[in-house]
Amino acid sequence: MALRNISRKRVRSAITIGSMAFAGFIMLFFAALGQGLLYTMEQNAVGVYLGDIQIHAPGYLGDPDLYTRVPDPNELVAKLKAAGFNATPRLFGFGLAAASGTSAGIWMRGVDLINEPKVTMIDRQVMEGAWLSADKPKNVVIGKKLAHTLGVKLGSEIVVVSQAADGSMANDIYFVRGILKSVGDAIDQGGFLMVDTEFRRLMGVTEGTHEIAVTRVNKDRDLSEAARTVAALAPGMEVKDWRQLQPVLAKMIDVMDTSLLFMLFIAYSAVGMVILNAMLMNVFERIREFGVMKAIGVTPPQVFSLIMAEAMLEAVIANVLALGAGIPVVRHFEKHGIDLSSLSSGASLAGMAFDPIWYCKLTARTLTMPVWFMFVMVLAAVIYPALKAALLKPLEALHHQ
Amino acid sequence: MDNGPIIKLENVTKVYHQGKINVTAIDGFSVAVDKGDFTALCGPSGSGKTTILNIVGALDVPTAGRVTLEGNDLADLSRTALSTMRRDRIGFVFQAYNLIPVLTAYENAEFVLALQGMPERERRARVMEMLKEVGLEGLENRRPEELSGGQQQRVAIARAMVTQPAVILADEPTANLDSATAASLLSIMEHLNISHGITFLFSTHDQRVMDRARRIITLRDGKLAGDERKG
Ligand SMILES: Nc1ncnc2c1ncn2[C@@H]1O[C@H](COP(=O)(O)OP(=O)(O)OP(=O)(O)O)[C@@H](O)[C@H]1O
Ligand SMILES: [Mg+2]
Repeated sequence: MALRNISRKRVRSAITIGSMAFAGFIMLFFAALGQGLLYTMEQNAVGVYLGDIQIHAPGYLGDPDLYTRVPDPNELVAKLKAAGFNATPRLFGFGLAAASGTSAGIWMRGVDLINEPKVTMIDRQVMEGAWLSADKPKNVVIGKKLAHTLGVKLGSEIVVVSQAADGSMANDIYFVRGILKSVGDAIDQGGFLMVDTEFRRLMGVTEGTHEIAVTRVNKDRDLSEAARTVAALAPGMEVKDWRQLQPVLAKMIDVMDTSLLFMLFIAYSAVGMVILNAMLMNVFERIREFGVMKAIGVTPPQVFSLIMAEAMLEAVIANVLALGAGIPVVRHFEKHGIDLSSLSSGASLAGMAFDPIWYCKLTARTLTMPVWFMFVMVLAAVIYPALKAALLKPLEALHHQ
Repeated sequence: MDNGPIIKLENVTKVYHQGKINVTAIDGFSVAVDKGDFTALCGPSGSGKTTILNIVGALDVPTAGRVTLEGNDLADLSRTALSTMRRDRIGFVFQAYNLIPVLTAYENAEFVLALQGMPERERRARVMEMLKEVGLEGLENRRPEELSGGQQQRVAIARAMVTQPAVILADEPTANLDSATAASLLSIMEHLNISHGITFLFSTHDQRVMDRARRIITLRDGKLAGDERKG
């Protein structure tokens, strides 16, 4: 019966379902946009270079000394992988770089070419030239501002001087293979990335590593829980999640999250009105019809459940349509993003470069929230007219215009 | 009880409150209708015909007085019992807007049987038979909007009849029909009354309809003004 009502009153059903589906689509899209903004911010914060969680030897963060290292990094990385993480060891050292008469302090980074790309997107941040290559150990990738300070281009020579672990002088000549786009102040100004084996050779570091950056394979996994798991695998080491490493940024994202929820709430309320209106019209238009039914012996509970069944069926169809239209659209904007660079160019938040392209992000939450909300809304909207139609005296209903 | 009148109204009064004005639609009206009667309720507009039919059909409650249907005092029945009684013992034919618009002629006629929980097969047999009796063979799959007024009323009668109710209440069933259509509708009603022994109580303005009734009850200002039996 409910099915017949919907399939036979095509125009009315189309309007009701259409407006509900549109509402659902808007809710999904908004939720995905909001989630995308947060995700982009977090990715910019952690995905480019920070990582979700970092492991250091105690004291390293306060005093980044060449000798303060995490022992047995490969073993630890293997353990972390087994526990559902991606992890990469990193080596750091300070030095001086000189090229064409100028010089600058550099922050050398030994990069694990296999693991680093699994943990962060630094390898995809090359603006000019190419990323590091294992068979070209003398080729380096440097930060944007550093390239500018040194006045170097792709292929230029850079002389590096530093103090090796054994106290001897470390020096060598490197060639610029790639220049990074802006990824954050520290790397922009002093980032000097080289293959980890070359770093170990130059600096005479054979054992241990300075930092292990860790990311969750499953991004929905709770961050603090993940950090505790990592800490348990690295006893005696200092383990911090990105929120502890970048508290200002974390706070900003939290504020953003709250205001997004608020905006979503407003959008959802507007949508709720559409649904409410559709349901009210749908029932009140047909009061007379319900009157006939009741006059010929349909009981109030039967009228009530008929209206409820119809509304729920419509909500299901509307949700299927909303998801059917919404998911591809969201997926599209997940890949292509909405370019906001004309509005703001190269924004930087708390020392992190900010990507001006706004992507959607489809998560369990963005999917379930609109669906759930639609059902609650439809239920809330239909209960009143359904009760009214159920309890109305058949005579009144028959005379209803 | 089986031998008593099928419908009995005793001193029924109905007062409508319209704002501060009280309208006495029915005023101390008493009548008894026997099983198998073919009775017309007549009277000028506003005399209370519709009100009487609504009260008998348990769609409305009297302000005072007693109404019994097949010996049951309607005042003693619960809401659910009244629904069931309307479903099983009474057939309604209203002046217009009788049918459920989304259902076909067949489905409209079948509706109450489905409510009663009758098995599909038995339903089908009964509905087809009844649609045939009211001359709607071949139009089973039309929806109300695709039927003429007379055809719609015939569907309504078929729907009222299929459950084999004790009584069919019809409020000006011919009011929206031209006289030829009205006459054929009347013939169908007469035929069903005779062959199935179903009691008919219908209101009308139409002299030609009154001519075919076997009993004419006349109302004036909510009071009984005449009760005439023919044949
Ligand atoms: N719901 C109502 N509220 C107030 N007054 C009503 C209501 N229904 C009927 N009445 C009044 O009760 C009286 C009887 O009305 P009723 O509809 O029974 O007359 P009727 O004989 O069917 O008239 P008609 O031939 O025009 O259909 C009228 O005066 C009418 O105005
Ligand atoms: Mg009337």
